[in-house]
Amino acid sequence: MKRLTVILSILMALSILMGACAAPTATEEVAVVTEEAAAPTAEEEVEPTEAPPDAAAVAAALPRNETLYFNGQQWGAVVGWNPYSTSMNNAMTIAQQDNARVLMFETPYAYNMLDGQMYPLLADGPFAWNDARTEITFKLKEAAKWSDGTQLTAEDVAYTWTANVKYGTNVGNNNVDYIEDIVAVDPQTVVVKAKLDEEGNAVNPLIVVAYLSSNYVIQKAWTETLEARVGGDATELMADPAEDVVYSGPYHKFFADDSKVVLVRDDNYWGQDASMWGKLPVPKYLTHTIFKDNAAGTTALKAGEVDVSQQFNSNVQDLWLVDGLPISTYLPDAPYGIGASLPTAYYNLKAHGLDQVAVRKAIAMAVDYPTIIANAMTNQSATFDQVPRSLMNPTPGEQALYDQAVVADLQFAGNDVEGAKALLDAAGIVDTDDDGIREYEGQKLSYIATCPNGWSDWQAAIEVVAAAGADIGIEITSNYPEWSVYQTVVTASDQPLPDGYDILMMWSDGAGPTQPWSRIRHLLSSEYVGMAGNWNGNWGQYSNPDVDALIQAIPTETDPDKLKEIYTELVRLYLTDVPSFTLMYRPQSFHTVNESVWTNFPHADDGTDPPVPPLDLMDGWSVAGLYNLTLVNP
Amino acid sequence: LKGYTKYFGTKFIWFVITFICAFILNFILPRLMPGDPVAAIVARFAQGATNATGVQAIYQRYTELFGTNRPMIEQFFIYVRNVFQGDFGYSIAQYPRTVADVLKSSIWWTMCLQFPAIIVGWMIGNTLGVLAAYLRKGFDRVLMPISIFLSNLPAFGMAVILLVVFAVGLKWFPTSGGYGYDMIPNFSWSFIWSVIVHYQLPFWSIVLINIGGQAIGMRSMSIYELNADYVKYARFLGIKDWKIIGYVFRNAMLPQVTGLALSIGTMITGALVAEIIFSYPGLGTTILSAVLGGDYPLISATTLILSLMVLVATFLIEILYGFIDPRIKAAQSD
Repeated sequence: MKRLTVILSILMALSILMGACAAPTATEEVAVVTEEAAAPTAEEEVEPTEAPPDAAAVAAALPRNETLYFNGQQWGAVVGWNPYSTSMNNAMTIAQQDNARVLMFETPYAYNMLDGQMYPLLADGPFAWNDARTEITFKLKEAAKWSDGTQLTAEDVAYTWTANVKYGTNVGNNNVDYIEDIVAVDPQTVVVKAKLDEEGNAVNPLIVVAYLSSNYVIQKAWTETLEARVGGDATELMADPAEDVVYSGPYHKFFADDSKVVLVRDDNYWGQDASMWGKLPVPKYLTHTIFKDNAAGTTALKAGEVDVSQQFNSNVQDLWLVDGLPISTYLPDAPYGIGASLPTAYYNLKAHGLDQVAVRKAIAMAVDYPTIIANAMTNQSATFDQVPRSLMNPTPGEQALYDQAVVADLQFAGNDVEGAKALLDAAGIVDTDDDGIREYEGQKLSYIATCPNGWSDWQAAIEVVAAAGADIGIEITSNYPEWSVYQTVVTASDQPLPDGYDILMMWSDGAGPTQPWSRIRHLLSSEYVGMAGNWNGNWGQYSNPDVDALIQAIPTETDPDKLKEIYTELVRLYLTDVPSFTLMYRPQSFHTVNESVWTNFPHADDGTDPPVPPLDLMDGWSVAGLYNLTLVNP
Repeated sequence: LKGYTKYFGTKFIWFVITFICAFILNFILPRLMPGDPVAAIVARFAQGATNATGVQAIYQRYTELFGTNRPMIEQFFIYVRNVFQGDFGYSIAQYPRTVADVLKSSIWWTMCLQFPAIIVGWMIGNTLGVLAAYLRKGFDRVLMPISIFLSNLPAFGMAVILLVVFAVGLKWFPTSGGYGYDMIPNFSWSFIWSVIVHYQLPFWSIVLINIGGQAIGMRSMSIYELNADYVKYARFLGIKDWKIIGYVFRNAMLPQVTGLALSIGTMITGALVAEIIFSYPGLGTTILSAVLGGDYPLISATTLILSLMVLVATFLIEILYGFIDPRIKAAQSD
């Protein structure tokens, strides 16, 4: 009894101690984060036209029925809100890309990856080329306004371009070779002048068009304020966090810390005008919870704490088939989403033996793609039987651009070990010393396949590639350097790839207004060979003048039949030379939704016209989905 | 006291020498890693750029900014000068965030999670260890296997078990985050309560792991002490049990105090596993991604703080020992 008393008293003392330890901790944390909570209040000062609720007014919690929760876009804390910079790590609001993210900043047009059309956003009606196809003219909507209430004019569009070029931003650098100038003809009319070649034709009309749906219009007055603040220094300009930025989109910053980013609707948003959406987007708040890995994101999705998930959820169908949760994907069955990009294994074409088509094709033929798709992608990719390999993504629009019958003989859908062996034997690449590994010119065929460490789906795919080598007498081992090392090596296309990078995995373009041309260019064009910081493509350093000429011809070609001929020929050359091979199809964005609070998300055949693409209600035309949402329990 | 001055003087000189070595290594080691961190920034600017000269210009702009184009020795002196002005520069991976800003936003979460967890784990573990050694029999037979099990369970295993049982299964606690997914930090009871609730699983995942190891160590030390003559003598004198436990605890805990000091010194590196499993804010994942991304300024700053904390902790322990360890006291008075 005495001992028991001793134990009990000690345990009691400990529990009191623990209580004392835990409570001050919590209070200290509150003190820390309360400082950060002051940020939204500061921001209100630059928004004289509206009085959005601040953190204190919302009390402790965001109303669930007014908040749409996201995950999978934002990793790590937001750095700032500067649309000129690519270093803001602000996934919810800054993404100038094929399907530009238009929640806070807006583009003249919004691209729809489902029908390949560009729909007017800031622009009023369709754009028009002049007869010589050297200039595009478009009008801006009268209703378009900035968040400070001022009119959005052609002068803003023109000055955005001027600033992008002047300060060498990503947008400026990427377009300066194709766009000569953007000028304001009158307050509502913009002319985009293409850069011309020696014959007076636009260098690349495709990129000129894509500019209209890929790049934001930024307010001239605010840009001038920013320029004055940084004294015209380019580095400073792009490092400025721009907490005072003026925007035209329906949402803006409400709160951001290491745990989440919250955007709040601008109830004065110009887009509620009848000339655009005719109403405001439904959710008042858009909250992106910042998780540290996919597992935590999946757990939150299951718990109903995430409504829209842009992350790879392994075996996504189990969420509704096994767990019985109100969770769904864009398509009800595999591949669950629309494949848009082509994660690809590139051969180092200078490695011994890999300069031989037979070796390259044999490896590609022997790879067990169904296993990659079943394991690495848990069937969230179409198979190569369903969508035969080409340079096109699986969308119907791109598939229609080439003649599948012409290249049918060149196709391979994987697991063809006998075919691969026969191909090698026929090329005289055989095992001469009976060690189980074939030799070419007396040297063993031994390679290292690689991708960045921790990219688990890619690593799973690389393991399958390595296994294929063993089946056909080619030694392939895997190696996974850290991304920081990998990217430095792979993008140094001004020198040959070093040992250890014989078969390497990288991405390809998704869906967009310049596709599939841009993807083909990035996969095959020799213009990147010799480039020191090659963030474009063709990392295996393939070079074929015929391919280059075809790639060059596409942007200026307007005859659909001729285009189909060119695309088919490119696919034929690609499947003949096999400089790289696609391992799977991957969606532009993962788009898994939990319908316990919100419903009416974009799904295949949901009756929307134009169809709303499954891009998480924020990219390009998919933002239209925010206007269709309804509450499950209003 | 004269003897003590010499003792502390020697310890202090070693402290300074170790600090200088650590300072130099903190600077050099990250920079010996393969890979070019500036390339990561350039990647963000150069994505899709076909203009080779444009990309090269961007690269030069940022190597200039971070000084990675200068000789290492020159970089070192710039670093020394900046550090002594309290400027750790920009984080490369999170540019244009400064290192100070990155640390400031997550260091409190780490400290508030780690410090109480280490202290509580240490106290419970040591108390249980003493009790096991003293009470033996049933208590020891139950406690020892549990302690061995706990101390050998990998940290992620414990975190996942707690997550699955108490958050996913029983739904007693939230699955992730430092506060409610639907909350904005503010000074209200509901928010404070949310922080406390979210704190529990990460906290206990660290405490439980700590308890096992501490209990085993303390039990062995205590058994050794219990056989000492002074304990037998105390028993003969009829001194109360709890008082004897008190003596044993004080004598057996000397090595445990050293361990505690080192744990507190290294707590800044964060509870990586708890942070990842529970998506809890903190420095652990920040440091991990800094190391993986070759973010020199951030690595150097965190390792510098780490070195300093460990050095200060061990220095303080040395001083404390000087006073409480009779053997040192005796040696100094010789």
